[in-house]
Amino acid sequence: MNKRTENRLRLTVLGGFLGSGKTTWLRHQLHEKAFGRVHVIVNEAADAPVDGVLLGAADQITLLAGVCACCDGQQQLETLLLGLCDDRSSISDPIVRLETIVLETSGLADPAEILSLIQNHPILVRQIVIAEIIVIVDALNAVEQIQNEVLSRKQIEAADRLILTKTDLSTEQDTACLGVTLRSIAPGAMQLAASFGSPLVLRPPAQDVQGVVLVKLSDKESDPILASRLDLGAKADWTAFTVWLSALLYARGDQIVRIKGVVSTPAGRLLLQTVRKSVQLPEILPDLNCPLETDNTIAVIGRGFTQGQLAKSFAHFLA
Amino acid sequence: MCGSCGFPAAPGHWTEAGAATPHERLRERFRRVQVLQKVLDQSGVTAHDGGVIPGIQVMSLSGGQTIVPDLEALWAEVKKLSGQVFDPLDL
Repeated sequence: MNKRTENRLRLTVLGGFLGSGKTTWLRHQLHEKAFGRVHVIVNEAADAPVDGVLLGAADQITLLAGVCACCDGQQQLETLLLGLCDDRSSISDPIVRLETIVLETSGLADPAEILSLIQNHPILVRQIVIAEIIVIVDALNAVEQIQNEVLSRKQIEAADRLILTKTDLSTEQDTACLGVTLRSIAPGAMQLAASFGSPLVLRPPAQDVQGVVLVKLSDKESDPILASRLDLGAKADWTAFTVWLSALLYARGDQIVRIKGVVSTPAGRLLLQTVRKSVQLPEILPDLNCPLETDNTIAVIGRGFTQGQLAKSFAHFLA
Repeated sequence: MCGSCGFPAAPGHWTEAGAATPHERLRERFRRVQVLQKVLDQSGVTAHDGGVIPGIQVMSLSGGQTIVPDLEALWAEVKKLSGQVFDPLDL
C-alpha cells in the first residue's frame, strides 16, 4: 500500500514582541525569496497599518489590521486561511500552487493560540500544517521585556527558532547573557542572529556566562524550565507512547511548554509537536532508507519534572 | 468530506495517526486498551474496547459507564469516575 504523504499547506508563524524587528526581518527574507511561493499575512493590532506598505515585495499579501489574530481577530484569520486553502485546492499543478503562508503576528500575539485555532478547526486541521514558529528577539530590550511581560516569555517558549536582532548595537557580553537567559526559557530552540534580515554570526556564550535570574511572573513558574529527552527505543511503540503522552498532557499540561520529536510508526515517520496543551496533528515526514539517529527521541520541555521521572513513568506503559 | 452534508467528519485524533490501514488501526485499538488496562489497574477504573463499536468504554467499580471517542476524553472521564486526575508521573 502507498504510504500517505504530507500534502498540507505549510504555515510559518513569525512572532516577537512589539518593535523587535519582525517586519524588517521578513522583508529581507522575501527579498531573498527564502520561502518560495508564499502568501504573507500581516497582522497588526493598530488600526493604521504600516507594515503592509513596507512589505510591498511579497507576491501576495493580506493585511489583518485593527485586531489581534490570536484573540479578537481569530474569526477573520480563520476566514482568510479558509479562502487561501480554497484557492489552493482549485489548482492541481504542484509547481504553481501555493507552498507556504507566512503569518506575521502582531507584537501582542501568542503563537500557541494560533496553533490551537488551526488544531480545533475541522477544515483547517486537514489543510494546514504549522511548519515552524520563528520568534524575533530584540537584543537591546529583550531582557527587560522577559522580566516584565508574561506574553514575551510565552512567545519565546513557543519558538522553534529564535532570531536575535540588533545584536550589532548591543555589547557582546549582553548578547551572551541574553543567549543564556533565552536558553533557560526555550532550551530546545535554535538561536540565530540577524541584522536587517541578513544573518550574523552568533558566537555561543562562554561557559561562565550567567543568565538573568528570571522574576516570577505567576505562581506556576516556581520551577525552572528543563529540557528532557525521552528515548522510545528503536522499535517505538506509538500506541503506548500516545496513551502516556495524552495522560501526561491531561495531568500536567500547564507545566509542559513544548514537546517535539519524530516517531517511526506503521504509517510512516511522524513529526509530533505540541505547544503547551495543544497537539498538532502529526506531520508525515518522507521515509528514509535508514532512520536518523534523532528519530524516536522526544524532547520534552517543561517544569516540575526530571528526565528520570519521565523515563520511569513511560516504562510503566510499555510491555 | 461528507457527500450529504458537505462537512468533513472530525479528523482522527492525533493519538491515532500511527496507523494507515484498517488492519493497523484495529491492532492499535487492541494495543491501546491493553496499555490502558495495565496502567489503570490501581485506579478503580477499567477500560474496554472490543473493536466492534467505535470508542473506548470506561467503567468504574460502582457501575458508572461511558463511551469516550479518544484518549483525551478518556482521561477527563477517568477523573470524573475515580475522583482524581490520573498523573502518569505518580506511577
